[in-house]
Amino acid sequence: MTKKNEISRRTILRGLSGAAIGLPFLEEMLVCNAVAAKAGAQIPVRAFNVFFGLGIPKPLQTEGFEGVLEPLKPLRDKLLIMREVDQVRCDESGINAHFDGASGAFTATPPNGEAKAGGASLDQVIRRELYPGGLPAGMVPTLVGGTFFRRSRVSRYVHSYNSDGTVAATMQEKPRDLFQRVFGAVAIDDRDPDARRDRIKQSVLDSVVDEYRYYTGNNSPLGSASKARVAEHLERIREYEQRAFSMKHQKDSGGPPRPPRSALRHGGAADPGGQGIDITLEELTTEWRLMADLYALAIEMDRARFGSLTFLAAGERIRLTGDYHYGGRKICTFDDARQQNASGDKGCSHEWWHKFKEDKKNEQLRAHAHMKMREVAYFLTRLDKTREANGKSILQNSLITISTESGDGRHNNVKRELSGVFHAITGANDRFKTGQIMDVRAEGLDVYNSITAAMGAKAELGPKKRDKRKIDQIRA
Amino acid sequence: MMRIAPSPIWRASLASLALLSPLAAQRVTNGLVVLYDFDSSSGNIVRDRSGAGQPIDLQITEPKGVLRSKGALELRGKTSVSSKKPAKRLTEAIKRSGEITLEAWIKPAHTEQAGPARLVTLSRNSGHRNVTLGQDGDHYDVRFRSTKTSTNGIPSLATKDRSLSTELTHVVYTRERSGKTRIHLNGRPAAEKDVPGDTSNWDSSSLLVLGNEVEGIRPWKGTLYLVAIYSRDLSSAEVAANFKAGAGAASGLVAREEPDPKVVHFETRIAPILANHCVECHDASTHKGKLDLTRKATAFAALENGTPIVPGNLDQSLLWDVVFNDEMPEDNDPLGMQQKADLKKWIEDGAIWSLEEIDPANYVHSGGGSDQRWVQRHTVEEYIATVKATVGVDIAAEARQILPPDLRADGFTNTAYNLSVDLKHIDAYARLAEIIVSRMDPEIFARQFARNHRFTDKDMEALLKPMGTWILRGPLEAREIIAYRGISTSVASVSGSFKEAVGYMIQAMLQSPRFIYRIENQRGDGSSWPIDSYELATRMSYIIWGASPDKELMRAAREGNLSNLAQIELQAARMLKDPRTIERSVGFITQWLNLGRLPNMRPSPERFPNWKAQIAEDMRTETVSYFKEVVWTQERPLGDLLNAQVTFLTPRLANHYRGRPPQRTQGGPQRAERHDLTTNPARGGLLTHGSVLTMGGDDASMVTRGLFVMHNLLRGVVKDPPAGVDTTPVPPRPGLSHRGAAQKRIADRSCGGCHIKFEPLAFGLEKYDGLGTYFEKDHHGNTLREDGEILFPGEANPTPFQNTGELMDLLAKSKRVHESLTWKVIQFSIGRPLGSTDAPAVLKIHKAARKNGGTWPALIKALVTSDLVRMTPTESTKQQLRPSLPLNP
Repeated sequence: MTKKNEISRRTILRGLSGAAIGLPFLEEMLVCNAVAAKAGAQIPVRAFNVFFGLGIPKPLQTEGFEGVLEPLKPLRDKLLIMREVDQVRCDESGINAHFDGASGAFTATPPNGEAKAGGASLDQVIRRELYPGGLPAGMVPTLVGGTFFRRSRVSRYVHSYNSDGTVAATMQEKPRDLFQRVFGAVAIDDRDPDARRDRIKQSVLDSVVDEYRYYTGNNSPLGSASKARVAEHLERIREYEQRAFSMKHQKDSGGPPRPPRSALRHGGAADPGGQGIDITLEELTTEWRLMADLYALAIEMDRARFGSLTFLAAGERIRLTGDYHYGGRKICTFDDARQQNASGDKGCSHEWWHKFKEDKKNEQLRAHAHMKMREVAYFLTRLDKTREANGKSILQNSLITISTESGDGRHNNVKRELSGVFHAITGANDRFKTGQIMDVRAEGLDVYNSITAAMGAKAELGPKKRDKRKIDQIRA
Repeated sequence: MMRIAPSPIWRASLASLALLSPLAAQRVTNGLVVLYDFDSSSGNIVRDRSGAGQPIDLQITEPKGVLRSKGALELRGKTSVSSKKPAKRLTEAIKRSGEITLEAWIKPAHTEQAGPARLVTLSRNSGHRNVTLGQDGDHYDVRFRSTKTSTNGIPSLATKDRSLSTELTHVVYTRERSGKTRIHLNGRPAAEKDVPGDTSNWDSSSLLVLGNEVEGIRPWKGTLYLVAIYSRDLSSAEVAANFKAGAGAASGLVAREEPDPKVVHFETRIAPILANHCVECHDASTHKGKLDLTRKATAFAALENGTPIVPGNLDQSLLWDVVFNDEMPEDNDPLGMQQKADLKKWIEDGAIWSLEEIDPANYVHSGGGSDQRWVQRHTVEEYIATVKATVGVDIAAEARQILPPDLRADGFTNTAYNLSVDLKHIDAYARLAEIIVSRMDPEIFARQFARNHRFTDKDMEALLKPMGTWILRGPLEAREIIAYRGISTSVASVSGSFKEAVGYMIQAMLQSPRFIYRIENQRGDGSSWPIDSYELATRMSYIIWGASPDKELMRAAREGNLSNLAQIELQAARMLKDPRTIERSVGFITQWLNLGRLPNMRPSPERFPNWKAQIAEDMRTETVSYFKEVVWTQERPLGDLLNAQVTFLTPRLANHYRGRPPQRTQGGPQRAERHDLTTNPARGGLLTHGSVLTMGGDDASMVTRGLFVMHNLLRGVVKDPPAGVDTTPVPPRPGLSHRGAAQKRIADRSCGGCHIKFEPLAFGLEKYDGLGTYFEKDHHGNTLREDGEILFPGEANPTPFQNTGELMDLLAKSKRVHESLTWKVIQFSIGRPLGSTDAPAVLKIHKAARKNGGTWPALIKALVTSDLVRMTPTESTKQQLRPSLPLNP
């Protein structure tokens, strides 16, 4: 194991401004390269969507790595930055520019109601095509996690969708929940571990599985949407079964301990009526990095191959405070409410996007966007540290699509708002070009379908009848 | 103004049901799959008049072999009456249920015909059948195929010798899912035996034939007066009821009307185009270019520059001209090729306009897969209530802690499509099942279902059947009995006790899809089918109580006492007296007004230094107490929620409303007291509650408040601004009142077109600040007003009001508001947003409820007796898609 391949505990434990990251040291972190390498020469297909809220105005994207994209610069050889990707079709049944744009991220289709996307997301198209029989036992079929506060509509923060537009997996918004989802063995029997009890328990589970199988089979009385829902339930039961019985040893062998309890607000308390919350930079980045570490660990341990990670909701409303440093220099002091001389929703960082003007400095917007890029880069860098059997990192071997909701940041023009939405992808094991900033000048749907095609998926996103265009210039 | 017109499509299907209704009191219709009453006295076709799904009409193969008269078909041999194609709908329905009732009124020609001679058969050929009712000399013989019989349905069930005569006879064969079969003659039991196995091997290529076998080699001679087949086992009482109704009971029916394809085209293709692309600008109030496309009279009327729609004449139709040339919709994407083709066809075909009015609100949830039906998972609260009702265990604390919370979608947390499942659910269901059983004595629980507590197959089956029916809200299939029996065998094999076995079986049932979901049959031929009695009982109990059926309701389902409207109404009346009904209705107001958000309020401490978190709880208490007072204590119509002059305030909330700082002693819980508001014009009605007023945030947003009124009370529709329109909010000038800022937005060319529709709806609330405190002046010193105008959707002109009280009275009296409340309660009750195809049924329910006082009980009664609850849309096998998620191997 080379030094490069080791995961620095310090990296994990230290956050910005000396803030200690609360992730406990996991033994599995040290063995993750071995686990990854053991997978053999066959590099698994993986696809993850990384979403960040509020976007990067198109004019700022033209500044390349000299502007808000600076934190991505160390990874530039492993990324294809795509500019001029338009999501304008997402306004077709629009409700709200944030909501429409966010729903379009990774689906390129307009939302279908409050809690449904217009179709499948990139990761799910690939998952269904390449793993038609399901993922290997013990894996989380789709891992959806993230840190966000505003939650009035699901597609503000969930970014993995089934083909019927329903969410592909439940959002894990607390680090402990994400941890439990990935590593938690289900303790079916805390008090009486004898074989007799296990045997009966297995019998109970067998009958439950049989029932769910019946309702997903040919004789099921259910319609297709209901059947899909029950199939989803069955899939979770299979996973439960795996954890309850096959992975029981993990509990006995002292598996990783749970991360600490999140200090942030979650659930309804995190979104007081759309009015926004007060939060410090340290609180926010501590949680983000903990989530990024756990999510990356899930990928390194091959417990997750598909899903999405969210860095703030679309149209997020926070009143951020704290000094922001990067690369040894102070970028700015965040103090949204005071700097805007407003309270409630009007005092949130969200307002900097409303106030964006091309001919102004837009310093606060830039600082916020720069800071988010730093956190996205942290996650990507984490994936770049583990080498796989082909000598490349997980980052290089996976399809990581990074996108957001807005191309401009202003809602006064839907076309401008949803044109030129920031996108970046990784090479996905030499399927796509990297090391470039490319003006793609294409509709999101064509770009996404070109991506899924390159990943080996035949199914396409969006309406069947439309003038389609292959975006070959992104392919390696 | 009533805006939902019953569509002819719906009228056609209702027609057949309505014609059935006079008979419903006599003949059983629930579970009916095919019905032949031989009403026509001529022709070669015998019509299926069941009204259930696509009709299975029969053809007389040799007309010379029959004699037709009104209400009778005499078969004289060498002929048969057969379906042209395999009777798949019939086969599938019985295959799925495992139950059947085959009923016939007949008069055999003589007692010598044998073979058996086929009276009614569902078969592929003479050796390969699903079921056959035959005559074998002087007795009846029924062959029913199961996995335990031969493909010929042998061994059969026969009546005694000499039980068959040449008199008019009512013969009924029934089979329970468990295998018990019976023959009733003239309403009395005549034979009985078990035919074990299930119907999974039924052959869907079978034809339905009367009076012969498929190949024509087993003719039966005699007269048929009625043949009916049900997909369920009719109880003895139901068989007796049908016997009592007589042979001619079904006569007088007319064959089901097929909907006019032009009407279908208009209602499913054209109306959505007009609703979604045109009427925003061309309705009664906006009527740009003096054009109103919501009604036929105005849509077809000549304008200065031409006539919008000229039936049959594309060239003269202005609408076509501007749409074809992409001039309309203005400032928006042009219509697609398919939409243009639909419009062209419609005008060329005569521009049939079958709706009274096009209401865009009906189309918000139409299209884009909105007709899909997701199986309903229990919400956390429903799970708790179901466990309590089923096994008597209070699991509330643990369930609320362990189960993931349900999330809001389309305004409610019980929206089926959003009730997905996570690993955490699976873990929680398993853990909760264990906790629930640990709090029961399974042996005592089992006593109510079976006396013998032994592991033998016979005793265990005797327990499982009734216990499973109770816990899983309907009879078990054979495979289920085998599965649960497997658990008891596992327990027995490790020397476990009977009590342990029952406990584990209950645990398995509590995790079964039939417990966690409300499983219903959704398969059919693509049309609407009646649901079965257990499904109906379950729908009723969750609508009324949010919990599973009680014993009385289950008994009614089992004994066929939910077969007609009178019986359903009787049950509903009984159920509405249960206190759980009130809690269920509180669940509605809590979700509708999103009262769950109140504890999360964090108003700016600088602007609202006197705010205390307890005030939010007081606001919730005010609204819930008020709702109970108006709806349940005073039993007033739901519309009165908008202006009833009473409320319930804690001293702390009363202080807050008056803008006074809280007293020191006001920190803990306080009791809400009833306040008469008849002399307080500033308060009265839901919209003056803090729980609603705080929706607008600290700034008392007129946009948010106005949109709330528009969407939740008026069912108005406002779309997003078109691309390219500058929608930057007009920044409020310092010192401007909220009304002043709103008027700026309304006056703005880009914003005003839409904002004028909803911001004035909040003008009457201007005197309440962001936290609901009443002021005469704002903090800039502006005198606040409460007068304004309200534009009800569909009306051409706004109605003025002078003060808040007048606005509340207008809303309370508005038919549109009454309709909206009906829509909201129904959406909550059935767990899905409503679309245009639901509109006619909703209108019917609304009218029935208003006729009976417009109260909650009146509305719920109208709902549970409606087609929305008694029928279900089905998917044909062709429509079946692969589940969207693959399964692990």
